[in-house]
Amino acid sequence: MSHRELRQNQPRFSGLESGHRACQGCGEALAARLVTEAAGPDVVYANATGCLEVFTTAWPDSSWRVPWIHSLFENAPAVAAGMEAALKSRGKTTRVISMGGDGSTFDIGFQALSGMLERGHNVLHVCFDNEAYMNTGIQRSSSTPHAAVTTTSPSGKERMGKRHLKKDIVSIVAAHHIPYAATTSVAYPSDIRKKVRRALAIDGPTFLHVHSPCPLGWGHDGALSIEVARLAVQTGLFPIIELERGRLAGSMPIRTVHPVTDYLQLQNRFRHLFVDDARAREELEHLQALADHNIEVYNLRGTRPDNRDSEGADTVRRGGLRWA
Amino acid sequence: MGLKLTRGSFAHPASSLRYHTGSWRMERPVHRHRPAPCHTACPAGEDAQAWLALIAEERYREAWEKVVAVNPLPAITGRVCHHPCEVACNRGHFDEPVAIHHMERWLGDKAIAADWDYPATPLAHGSQGVAVIGSGPAGCSAAWQLSRRGYKVDLFEALPVAGGLLRSALPHYRLPRDVLDAELERLLASGITFRPGQRLGRDFSLDELKAEYAAVFLAPGTQRSREWNIDGATPHDLHVGLDLLKRWVDVGTIPEWSSAAVIGGGNTAIDLARILRHCGVETVHVVTHQSLPRAGVEQIDTMSAIPREIEQAMEEGVIFHEHRGVQRLVLRGEQVIGLELVHRKELHEADGSKRYVSFEGTESLLHVDQVIPAIGQSVDPAGLSTLLEQRSHLDASEHGRLDGHPGLYAGGDACGGHGSVSAAIGDGRRAALAIERDLQQQTDSAEPAADPVTPAQLNMNYFEPQARQHAPVLPVAERSGEVEIIGTLTPQQAAQEAMRCLSCGNCLACDNCWTLCPDIAVLKTRRPAEDGSHYLFDYDFCKGCGLCARECPTAYIMMEPEQ
Repeated sequence: MSHRELRQNQPRFSGLESGHRACQGCGEALAARLVTEAAGPDVVYANATGCLEVFTTAWPDSSWRVPWIHSLFENAPAVAAGMEAALKSRGKTTRVISMGGDGSTFDIGFQALSGMLERGHNVLHVCFDNEAYMNTGIQRSSSTPHAAVTTTSPSGKERMGKRHLKKDIVSIVAAHHIPYAATTSVAYPSDIRKKVRRALAIDGPTFLHVHSPCPLGWGHDGALSIEVARLAVQTGLFPIIELERGRLAGSMPIRTVHPVTDYLQLQNRFRHLFVDDARAREELEHLQALADHNIEVYNLRGTRPDNRDSEGADTVRRGGLRWA
Repeated sequence: MGLKLTRGSFAHPASSLRYHTGSWRMERPVHRHRPAPCHTACPAGEDAQAWLALIAEERYREAWEKVVAVNPLPAITGRVCHHPCEVACNRGHFDEPVAIHHMERWLGDKAIAADWDYPATPLAHGSQGVAVIGSGPAGCSAAWQLSRRGYKVDLFEALPVAGGLLRSALPHYRLPRDVLDAELERLLASGITFRPGQRLGRDFSLDELKAEYAAVFLAPGTQRSREWNIDGATPHDLHVGLDLLKRWVDVGTIPEWSSAAVIGGGNTAIDLARILRHCGVETVHVVTHQSLPRAGVEQIDTMSAIPREIEQAMEEGVIFHEHRGVQRLVLRGEQVIGLELVHRKELHEADGSKRYVSFEGTESLLHVDQVIPAIGQSVDPAGLSTLLEQRSHLDASEHGRLDGHPGLYAGGDACGGHGSVSAAIGDGRRAALAIERDLQQQTDSAEPAADPVTPAQLNMNYFEPQARQHAPVLPVAERSGEVEIIGTLTPQQAAQEAMRCLSCGNCLACDNCWTLCPDIAVLKTRRPAEDGSHYLFDYDFCKGCGLCARECPTAYIMMEPEQ
């Protein structure tokens, strides 16, 4: 069987195909494929401007195998809302997913997102969070973590990277009183799969926040994307949680809590924190305190090994069986 | 519909497949099978990872055939081997090593119960065969390896039955005779001509063999006990360890002493000490100048007996005196009434030589009725004097060749050194391969350096701790010497234990690379691919990011620079 035939006969559905122009080791490309894989073929997508939109649709090609629309940076949830209304009026059950990066979700398209959630559209919004405007050259967004360096939050005499904190988007979204909002990470494919299916099974607006490393913007080797994403979870800097109607409904416990430096030292965007400087030491302590705070408020410290905790959730077995 | 899409506003699904991102690649991922540490540690050369994987896939018969391709006696070695594979097992760095010896035994027993035939090969190399002398583990291994390569093999044994040391010196509680009989009987029925009651030097000579056979493999074992005395003194009723052990194994009786001291730190010493206890000897001592096995003690200074056997001997009340030597026999007439012991160690000089040192002022008296040396054996020179030239052992090369004697090969205990069943099996196999190469006039190919997968190369994020399965052990009070002490795993336990294997250096078929490739450049195959894995790399699209290699749990994917 040729590679071409084999590709057409894979025992999984994939909405995203090869030939896309994402960088080597792109976390977002992987996350997007995993989402389409879990959602299945009967879904239409609205995609905001951003890396994902650009690298999947270099004219005249498309890497998508599913109906997919791009309009503007700020309006993907609004477009998705219109698609949902049209499908509904024709009596179709096809599901609608709107997709965007952290730029469109946290900043530029936030009011369209808020409107879609408030109007109660039956749409899943997926945010692929790589924590800066990577497509335009790594400018800080409201998702960029505290103390990270971007081209618009450099470290120097005045600041050690970004002065402000990462916006707590999932709490803001959940405050719309929607049925389901959750975070997940590209390091845990089975968690993504479970949460996409859970969200699509719900009638009403839902939200999924996927942590997706960017080797270029974060300054790590493309081979380390999963390792970096996993450490974000295992340090407590990126808590994996589920919120239903605004209340905490589940979390992924951390079996072995790693110090934040395990995560930070793999990335050049935090390199300025590993020098002999009192401000750097303070920022490291600050980031550790933020992780500790997450662990405390979401009660993330595991009490006993569990197959759904930060070490059990990615267990593999002969034959490819994962628990989710 | 008035809507008209311009060419710039749409694209066909998956049309990006015409754009080959593979041209971006600087490094390419490749499947690279590397040996697991259990494989490189096995003296017989078994690849435990490979057959454990087949058991995990419930391909039991193929698993057994994989074992016997290297070691024809798994039910036996699964019981008696000191399993260095488990010491090397990478899982030991994570929780506990895989119980490889229990699994090997379970598989060997399953083959016996199901009566699976040894995969026989028709004769392919004419009528001139190979003679194998001695039907112990080395001889059986060589005979089997030659027979499965299509050679006619005559296996000579001095005794009326096959087994060599396995039969004459291994106590029943370690190796039940029904298992030994069943496995040897089935092996010998695979096409080997067994010629019992034929003793070298009595019934035939080496020259006759050389004339009749294309090659001769010598595995006579060590049948002669070394001389033993203390400053020239020996008790009048001296019994030598191995002879006593053989007598007990054969006849089932042992003299009734009230106390005894066994001198030596090998398996013979331990087996004998335990049998003395089982037979009612009240106080049994083992005296050795070496150390009991414990962490931090060098191999060279440690007793050569299997640690598990030493542990069980202690449970059964055998008293150990480590780092001790016998300085004087305390005799009344020619009767031993005690031993003068002294602290003694083997000291290693910088130039590699060694010497025994007894430490003055540490002498003590041990009251015993009998002293039994179990300090090693040598080759019986009958029929072999031209090869031995006054030495105690045969001097064979790494491939079993005897320098200056073309057509003659040797292995097993007769070559000294290791003294384990699995090492003898390895000797037999390597010599058989050398015989084949010599008969086919091929040269030895350089064996690739053993480069086993290390724990640091595995990605342990993908594995969960799982307790090792334990086989039942007979309580001390029920140990008679006849009944086997260690039991067998249940089929459920075996299935679980097989899944504990990390599959170091080989494809686990876990789907990780297929799941995690951001470029959809890993394709899953329906049947195993040519390299035995379940995935192909599509180099048209692989950008060479290295994520699959980094996240492969078993270190089976490597990155290579692009040409």
